[in-house]
Amino acid sequence: MDTPMIELTDVTKAFGSTKALDGVSLTVPHGTVLGLLGHNGAGKTTLVGILSTLALPTSGQARVAGVDVVRHPEEVRRRIGLTGQYAAVDETLSGHANLLLIARLLGATRAQAASRAEELLELFSLTDAAHRAVKNYSGGMRRRLDLAASLVGDPDVIFLDEPTTGLDPTARRALWDVVQRLVREGTTVLLTTQYLEEADVLADSITVLSAGRVVASGTAEELKNRIGHRSVSVTVRGADDRELAAAALRRAGLSPAHEDDGLVLTMPVRDSTAVAQVVRATDEAGVDLAGLAFCEPSLDDVYMALNHSDGR
Amino acid sequence: MTLTTDQTAGAPAPALTRPLRYGGAGVLRQVSVLSGRSLRALREPALVLPGVLEPILMLTVFSQVFKSVSQTSAFPAGVSYIDYLLPAFLVTGSISAGLKSGVALTTEMNNGIIARFKAMPIHTGSVLVGRSIADTVLNCVNMLVMLAAAALVFGYGPDGGVLGSLGAVLVAVVLGWSLGWVFMALSAWVRKPEALQPIGGIVNMVLLFASNAFVPAEGLPGWLRAFAEVNPMSYAITAARDLALGEPSTATVLATLGTCVVIVTVTAPLAVRSFRRAT
Repeated sequence: MDTPMIELTDVTKAFGSTKALDGVSLTVPHGTVLGLLGHNGAGKTTLVGILSTLALPTSGQARVAGVDVVRHPEEVRRRIGLTGQYAAVDETLSGHANLLLIARLLGATRAQAASRAEELLELFSLTDAAHRAVKNYSGGMRRRLDLAASLVGDPDVIFLDEPTTGLDPTARRALWDVVQRLVREGTTVLLTTQYLEEADVLADSITVLSAGRVVASGTAEELKNRIGHRSVSVTVRGADDRELAAAALRRAGLSPAHEDDGLVLTMPVRDSTAVAQVVRATDEAGVDLAGLAFCEPSLDDVYMALNHSDGR
Repeated sequence: MTLTTDQTAGAPAPALTRPLRYGGAGVLRQVSVLSGRSLRALREPALVLPGVLEPILMLTVFSQVFKSVSQTSAFPAGVSYIDYLLPAFLVTGSISAGLKSGVALTTEMNNGIIARFKAMPIHTGSVLVGRSIADTVLNCVNMLVMLAAAALVFGYGPDGGVLGSLGAVLVAVVLGWSLGWVFMALSAWVRKPEALQPIGGIVNMVLLFASNAFVPAEGLPGWLRAFAEVNPMSYAITAARDLALGEPSTATVLATLGTCVVIVTVTAPLAVRSFRRAT
């Protein structure tokens, strides 16, 4: 079945005269991850709110697993899991009791609920902390429990609203692993994040939101190709070498630049084949290089470029 | 789903099995699971003790400070001040209990657990009904503790006997239940606990002191007396007090209970509706 698991058509959400979303369209195919990038206030959370039936769009159409969120919200709720800054767990209860609660609300018998809770606690490495109150959990453990709670009902689509904000790198990576595992098993994910690295690692495609509009979309690779700049930088051993190398590189058609007294020459290039050109030119000039690097543009570059062109 | 492109079917799922979706729970199950959740607070002394101690402390203060009221002419003859005061305390304790429902709801709306419930396939009303039941049970327990403390420590022992006092508790609990819905409707509307608290404080203040809770209405200055006589809280207090003192007026009791039912009938749908919309 090729129905997209998430489909937005020209969705607008207005709060008074301000438009939190302004004509957003996007689709997410089955079993893929869409990374939704944007600043605070770009409209990411509003979009997740509409898709998870917490808010109504002002106009436009939104479907999850082929079901219209406005017309059949109760059907949508049977198919989704919501995690992130929005959805939390009960702090006074233990991790185990939280999962039990969710499972019972979804109609599981006591026995089914208990086995599902244990299964998920195990998957998220929370078995040891199962019977401790959540308020004593670390940030990473709590996020894992949040995600576990969204998975109890075995949803087709999960919304991860800034799932790793405030986590340390180890905890972040642990959460990424679980998300990747879910996707391998066929879950569709919409992930909002301010971390470009996170989108780069997890997302099959990326949509950049700014002031409620889609300003760019594509794979990470496509966005980098379109907007980012690749560069080569070489490190020399002294000011004399730097002048020699700069002259040779200019003769080779490159445009090296450096900080006033810096020993690093950086030049934009089209692709990695330029590295050979750089090495040849400096070698012919008799310069002994202390270092050489080819730099891919980061999503940060993409993000900055887009938001600049947007007048920010 | 076509057979050829389904990558989920062939892939072994080592840790995460994908069981069939559970069939969903009926409204009764939802309500009982959710009220059970809220009642778990009872296991946490830090959350329960202040609710029990505060009224007892107030009782101590008021019963001593206003004792001389019982010497005034408007005061019913032959009634001790504690017997007069306690039923009013049951009723006023219910205002606080109702406010607590609202505050708890706004807190949970802000910390995200309500959003999780709202994105689940359960009825929105179940969340509110569950909270209402849990808070009503908790209020019941608080009232009985206060009653016992008053009897043991302050010599509370009105002519209505145990049954009369339990009747007063019933009136107070029903009132607390209905005010709980008022405050839940308000909380779904204002959404912030810090905004709800002062509203509750003002309502509490006005309904309480401009009533016959602490002194007979006849003893109040004219303008205040006029308000106290139409203040619905005065009726609830009179109903509870008459029950406790052994001179129940069926009309006042029925009017109070009827008003409570009307309040819930009006505010409950409002609460559910604005709660559904609030994000």
